[in-house]
Amino acid sequence: MFAATLSLSRWIFILALIVPVGAGVLGVILPALSYFPAIGETEFSLDAFDALGAVQSLPYMIALSLFTGLSATFLALFGTLAMLAVFYQTTGLQWIQRLLSPVLVIPHAAAAIAVGFLIAPSGWPVRLISPALTGWSLPPVFSPLHDAMGIAVIVALTLKALPFILLMALSVLAQPHLSARLNKQLNLAVTMGYHPASTFLKVAWPMLYPAIRLPVIAMLAFATANVEIPLVLGPGSPPTLAVAVLQWFNHIDITMRLQASAAACLQVVVTCSAVLFWLLSERVGAGLISRWQLDGNRVTAARTLKGVAVVTVLGILTAVMLMLASLTVWSFAAHWPFPQALPDAITVLHWASGLTSMQTPLTNTLLLAVPVSLGAVLLSILVLEYEKQRDHCSKLTDKVSGDLLLFIPLLIPGVAFLFGLTWLAQLAQAGQWLPTYVSHFVYVLPYVFLSLAVAYRRFDERYRYVAYGLGASPYNVFVRVTLPLLSAPIAIAFALGLAISFSQYLATLLPGAGAIATITTESVAVSAGGSRRLSAVYTLMQMILPLAGFVLAWWLPAKWFNPAVHSR
Amino acid sequence: MIRWISGLLIINGLIWPTHAETLQFYAWGGSPQVNQYLEWVSEQTQQQFDITVNHVKLADTSDAVSRVLAEKAAGNHSNGNVDLIWINGENFAAMDKHGLLHKNWVSELAHFTLTNPTRNRNMTMDFGIPTNGQEAPWGKAAMVFYFNQRYLSRPPANASALLAFARQHPGRFAYPLPTDYLGISFIKYIALTLSTIEKEQLYQPVTESALDAVTVPLFDYLDKLHPYLWQQGEFFVRQASRLQQLFADNSLLLSFSFTAAEIPAAVSRYDLPLSTRTYAMQDGSLSNVHFIGITYNSAHKSDAMKVVNFLLSPQAQAKKQRVSVWGDETVLDMTRLTQDQQKLFAVDNRHPSSLPPAGHHVLLAEPHTSWTDALRKAWFARYGEHL
Repeated sequence: MFAATLSLSRWIFILALIVPVGAGVLGVILPALSYFPAIGETEFSLDAFDALGAVQSLPYMIALSLFTGLSATFLALFGTLAMLAVFYQTTGLQWIQRLLSPVLVIPHAAAAIAVGFLIAPSGWPVRLISPALTGWSLPPVFSPLHDAMGIAVIVALTLKALPFILLMALSVLAQPHLSARLNKQLNLAVTMGYHPASTFLKVAWPMLYPAIRLPVIAMLAFATANVEIPLVLGPGSPPTLAVAVLQWFNHIDITMRLQASAAACLQVVVTCSAVLFWLLSERVGAGLISRWQLDGNRVTAARTLKGVAVVTVLGILTAVMLMLASLTVWSFAAHWPFPQALPDAITVLHWASGLTSMQTPLTNTLLLAVPVSLGAVLLSILVLEYEKQRDHCSKLTDKVSGDLLLFIPLLIPGVAFLFGLTWLAQLAQAGQWLPTYVSHFVYVLPYVFLSLAVAYRRFDERYRYVAYGLGASPYNVFVRVTLPLLSAPIAIAFALGLAISFSQYLATLLPGAGAIATITTESVAVSAGGSRRLSAVYTLMQMILPLAGFVLAWWLPAKWFNPAVHSR
Repeated sequence: MIRWISGLLIINGLIWPTHAETLQFYAWGGSPQVNQYLEWVSEQTQQQFDITVNHVKLADTSDAVSRVLAEKAAGNHSNGNVDLIWINGENFAAMDKHGLLHKNWVSELAHFTLTNPTRNRNMTMDFGIPTNGQEAPWGKAAMVFYFNQRYLSRPPANASALLAFARQHPGRFAYPLPTDYLGISFIKYIALTLSTIEKEQLYQPVTESALDAVTVPLFDYLDKLHPYLWQQGEFFVRQASRLQQLFADNSLLLSFSFTAAEIPAAVSRYDLPLSTRTYAMQDGSLSNVHFIGITYNSAHKSDAMKVVNFLLSPQAQAKKQRVSVWGDETVLDMTRLTQDQQKLFAVDNRHPSSLPPAGHHVLLAEPHTSWTDALRKAWFARYGEHL
């Protein structure tokens, strides 16, 4: 029975990742080929692509998507490299890790809104230096928001991408066998007179990069196809392709859906081109590093790396602190004319009205996140247990075979398959909640699984061997030994699942047909509304929710599952 | 829920034939303020005419339109469920098209003359479609501008002054994309004030030559204005509400809205500066009116007319205009009222940011419905895709 459940869970796992994405892509290809029975289009043709090709600004949209996505990923990766090179094996790295981890769980929409608060012409940085240094008694008319180059978009994307890539790299570096080998090589190089930063670049990076390559490419795919950030911060004529797709899908004229579907297909091509370009650039980078490895230069790029690392650390920390402080002040601000550094008075009015209007979105947020995360945790545990039992006798491999599969939802742009999924759900009359659960599950499962897989891999097998030796059944070993010992990572994975579900914008908006309002969808809506103060309340709430989940995840297992407490 | 309740009410009405003095008023029920006002109306009509007004709270007014249409299809021409209906724009166009409204009764109302219909043509035009006495005006929304008095002592009073203002203060004015209702309203305002063609053409279905005649001066104006807009006119906000945020930031010194009552409310919520002042353009305020119709198959037409006449009375209109009650602007023309009647509309503690009483100079009726789409398309053809 237990064995059957386990192997069944394996199949559910594969289907849960492939079916919604596959069906969604199909659901976008059909309308792109002008098959859309709802508006009487039943003949296949390439008309939608012709219409798309006739959009004059299309090349600019594509270029903007590529430029913002590639720049942000490159900056995040380079920043990660510099920080690791300079701070690896120092206590500074632990501090950076601690400070940046919370940034990882800030929803993209919240990060975009917060960056908007910061770089707005009336934002805090400008207020602090005005009018003393600038002479401005009114906010400047030029603004880095909505700039045609998408610089604001790149800033926000980098801010979110960098902690992700850095923490991925740190989790690789924390693997005992790798770090032991690496540290020996690094120490050897340093004794040969190499600067530590250059050593990291020449020795550690070539070993580290292949291990974080897949998350980096997933990040790139995400960055080229993201909607929330360019929607809040990006230009409008033309916007990035993904934003254009969204606006065309929402166009009053329903026949625009055909063009939108064609554009969604094009988005897949654009994302793939970005990935291809990245893979080619990797070769150039690898060539450069292998040349450096042999040139005998003891201080290659040491100064650059140090400069970049310091700028990155200071930049990100200052930005995050200023963002939090400025959101907090705005959320309590009464009248606050420019260029005053502080409001005239403080009030709890915005929190009071925000919390009142938040009740339904908050309930919806939890109604989605809790079952989805529970399901994802349960399924991931069963699959990992299945793999563990299957590989029981064979050598423990580091690579979980499902890993590549997990990246499917992260690599295929959401704008491409979520629309198709929504359309199919409408055809099947599945309502709004079921498709929304499915799309959230697709995004939550990979993160929950990857997070749990790390813990499962590090699990000390000897506990299980002892239990087996005492005659326990596989089920009993699983329930009475493995699960209690893994309670802390399970709680963390659950909190991660909650955080991912909380942050979903498109995956809530589209399948829910706009009827399921969550904190994130409301926050994006409110950010375009009349009240900056209310927007600050919503954005802070978006940040508080996932953090609350993690705090509980750290605190609860220690309280409930601590054997020391129970033995008393 | 609302449909369920209204369904119950209808069943109720079928089982116990209602007394002749109960009228069924089908009106959107999503606002507690409106609902409370209609309760007050029913109390008043009971006292004055022994007529009870039952508010059937609709989630969507088009539901009531389809109900009357279904009754007509079923041959119920004299005993319909709907007596009074609150409509404008599309729903009126649909009812007009299908002949679902009682005709030529409005001019018989004693209080209708107080709206000064000969001067204010929006009292008899609903988005460019003549009302033909099928519906009586009830309240109105009109475009108001607001400015920051701290930085601007005299705001622009007409379209050409607005252009001069923009040149003098580059980047301090913005309007939303024409896909937003306030964005297209701004374009209509400019089109109405600048066009040299016969105004009548704007109130008829759009033709190619009329559109060309309107867009030449319109685009000439916008071409000059755009470089001086917020973000040099390269980025347009997608939603009207964003203008308020930019104004609150002091990024804009001049902005506009279709709901005058929301401006003092936003100041009280700290969302607009204390120095915000509301005013109306001298060359006209684009406005639209919401109306009350009587269905063609109502069995209580004369009672319904009594109620509508009461709704148009200075007493009922003044009550409705009070911000604490509803804040819906009156359709009555103050010049037609006696001193005593005007006093009803005076507010004791007027908010400094709100529109001064009788603040509108000229009301510009909405052009014919077909112009909306034509102007929007022309704008995007001229200024490119903005998404």
